[in-house]
Amino acid sequence: MSLRGALARLTSLVVWRSLKHTAAKLHGFALAEQGSAIDLSMAAQLAADPERAASYLQHAMDESRHAMMFQRRAGELAVKRGMPSYGAPRADVDHLYGMLGEIDFLAFVHRGERRARTQFEVYARYFETHDDAKTASVFARVLEDERRHEQYTYEVLVRLSGSEAAARRALRRSARWELRRTWLRHGRALSSRVFTLGMWLLYLVIAPFALIMRARAPRASGWR
Amino acid sequence: MTAVLGVSAHYHDAAAALVVDGRIVAAQHEERLSRIKNDASLPRRAIGAVLRLGGIDAAALDAVVFYENPYAKLERVLVGALRAFPGALGQFPRALGSQLGGKVWVVDALADLLDIPRAKVELVRHHQSHAASAFYCSPFGRAAVMVVDAVGEDACTSIWHAGEQGLRELTRIDYPHSLGLFYAALTAYLGFEVNDGEYKVMGLAAYGAPTRRDAMAKLLRVAPDGSYELGLDYFDRFTRTELGYGKRLVDLLGAARSPYERWDLTGARDRAYADIARSAQDALEEALVAIAREARKRTDEDALCLAGGVALNAVANRRIAREAGFTRVFVQPAAGDAGGALGAAILGAMARGAARPALLMGADLGVTVAGAPVATYARALGLVASHLEDVPSAVADALEAREVIAWAHGRCEWGPRALGFRSILARADDAEVRERLNRAVKKREPFRPFAPAVLETDAATWFAGGANAMTPFMTTVADVLRPEALPAVTHVDGTARVQTVQPESGLGQVLSAVKQRGATPVVLNTSLNGPGEPMVATATDALSFFVRHGVDKMIIDDVMLTRPE
Repeated sequence: MSLRGALARLTSLVVWRSLKHTAAKLHGFALAEQGSAIDLSMAAQLAADPERAASYLQHAMDESRHAMMFQRRAGELAVKRGMPSYGAPRADVDHLYGMLGEIDFLAFVHRGERRARTQFEVYARYFETHDDAKTASVFARVLEDERRHEQYTYEVLVRLSGSEAAARRALRRSARWELRRTWLRHGRALSSRVFTLGMWLLYLVIAPFALIMRARAPRASGWR
Repeated sequence: MTAVLGVSAHYHDAAAALVVDGRIVAAQHEERLSRIKNDASLPRRAIGAVLRLGGIDAAALDAVVFYENPYAKLERVLVGALRAFPGALGQFPRALGSQLGGKVWVVDALADLLDIPRAKVELVRHHQSHAASAFYCSPFGRAAVMVVDAVGEDACTSIWHAGEQGLRELTRIDYPHSLGLFYAALTAYLGFEVNDGEYKVMGLAAYGAPTRRDAMAKLLRVAPDGSYELGLDYFDRFTRTELGYGKRLVDLLGAARSPYERWDLTGARDRAYADIARSAQDALEEALVAIAREARKRTDEDALCLAGGVALNAVANRRIAREAGFTRVFVQPAAGDAGGALGAAILGAMARGAARPALLMGADLGVTVAGAPVATYARALGLVASHLEDVPSAVADALEAREVIAWAHGRCEWGPRALGFRSILARADDAEVRERLNRAVKKREPFRPFAPAVLETDAATWFAGGANAMTPFMTTVADVLRPEALPAVTHVDGTARVQTVQPESGLGQVLSAVKQRGATPVVLNTSLNGPGEPMVATATDALSFFVRHGVDKMIIDDVMLTRPE
């Protein structure tokens, strides 16, 4: 088993520790799949080769279906837990095809599919052995597609890169890019907290102006 | 040549519009290209698309006009947060972060994006953009203009006088007294998404009775001169910005409805929510009629143009047209914030001596769908593609066979309504089709009606009052004269949000073909999108839609797609 698979297995008990957490995690998968579906739809529009464009479109539709499957199951579990269900998934989208170019985009997608396949294999087994056949079946059905996606993205990547070695280089490049993106995301999250703290302080410091404002410019209503 | 690009962005529904030599060449919503519903980000794709459609290089633009003044908006946010001290403590970092993190840099962002000098980027006021988009696209030489939305820089409602001399603001009501925010708060209270679910409240209202008028009178007080005031204690703009309502509103109306529960209007609980929707809709309509009467009094004009997000309330528009004293009313199809891009472009062009644009005859101002690559894609996706010689006849044949047909042709629509270019069509005289459409594609709440399209010449036969300046863009409703004949498109209150169509348009040719076959010459016309998705723009969007949703056929340009036997 790969390191990622072993990690997924180790963390399963924590990740799926309650209905609430299971629902939230499945909702997270739905968002990821929906984001991926939009990215692939954009790739289908931008790809120069119609056959590849059709493959991306088919892939996008699979991802969209996965999003709905995860979302439906997340909603069922949420309702079972007495929480509100989830609405249609609304994902954040990076539009990676335009940003990375076709080869690096494919490398990124391939890595994502491989990662998902490894995790989902573990999760499908986990739910099979924890008497949740419905969730296990969602993972199993998604897995069938993920294996196919992993396979075809690698084949297209090799074809476009020109050789297996070039494809591996693209995959390494993609890994470095992902690492940098994760670093930046964490940096942004941290700076956002620092900014929030600063703004709270600023808000308290400018309190006297609030009093002046209220006194000098009372709020008006009606026609001006 | 004078070429001006108008841009709206950063709040909801970003868009770009291009005016060349006084002609509206293109207008495009960003969401249709980015595939993110109500995409508010700087509309890079839409800008690229309108420039391509106009055959204009960015360097050749005379000006880029942004639809509002971000600095004035920043000032309003700061002043509002200070006034609310200490209540806005939680919201202050986010509000300021969003302003300073992007919105106030829009001039630089546009200059960088287009690689043009910063001096070429200009700002106009939010309500001025709205007013221009309504008046200069209207058929009127002179008119009163009424802009009603959530909030621009400061103004939430404004009255303008428009004519040969241009646009002149007569009066306005400033933030926080906002009809848009009033309706948005009720939208959130009823469990719908703000800036997206307002039309659901409008549809739901028809199922209710105005039993909560007293409560609404506490939320919204209208004076005889049309000015109004919100009961601000009931609204919470700083700690619950996504919802806009506060604990006092819940105390007044009862618990808010969960967004995730299924609607059941046979039950007392949801009927009570329908009563609240009806009471809110009535309160809004009464306020709008009062404002419109004031506009009539101040301008002495016979014609009225409406703009701003609230002008998309088709039910209220009918009431204004009936009760405010105007003989003609016009609403531009993209009356919401996206429409500000068009108004900004027109203002920029006219400031440079361009003529006023010709009357807006159609909403097909966006990107073109091309059928050429469809057959290749279709083969790879296992679909059957066939070339059509006579598309309107093929659509009419499908309708005759009681099929639900998706049709993408020409340029995509400007505004939130599908007007026949990215539409799903079905028979209006078949009650079952409405259920099928909802089950297979739309998955809408049961109270939301579907809209009809009819030839302009046949409109008076089927809908009270026939065609008017609003019906080509589906921005008003009309009583259905024979509801039993049009069960799929008649709302519970006997009205329909009718679209009138010229016979030479694609949809007009379909309606003519349907009529020639002796069938009811009215079709159900709903937008080509699934739940939570933006409307289809390109051929790949249309293909993707067809594979995922259960319509019977799809026609993209002149290629018909079916599923294998």
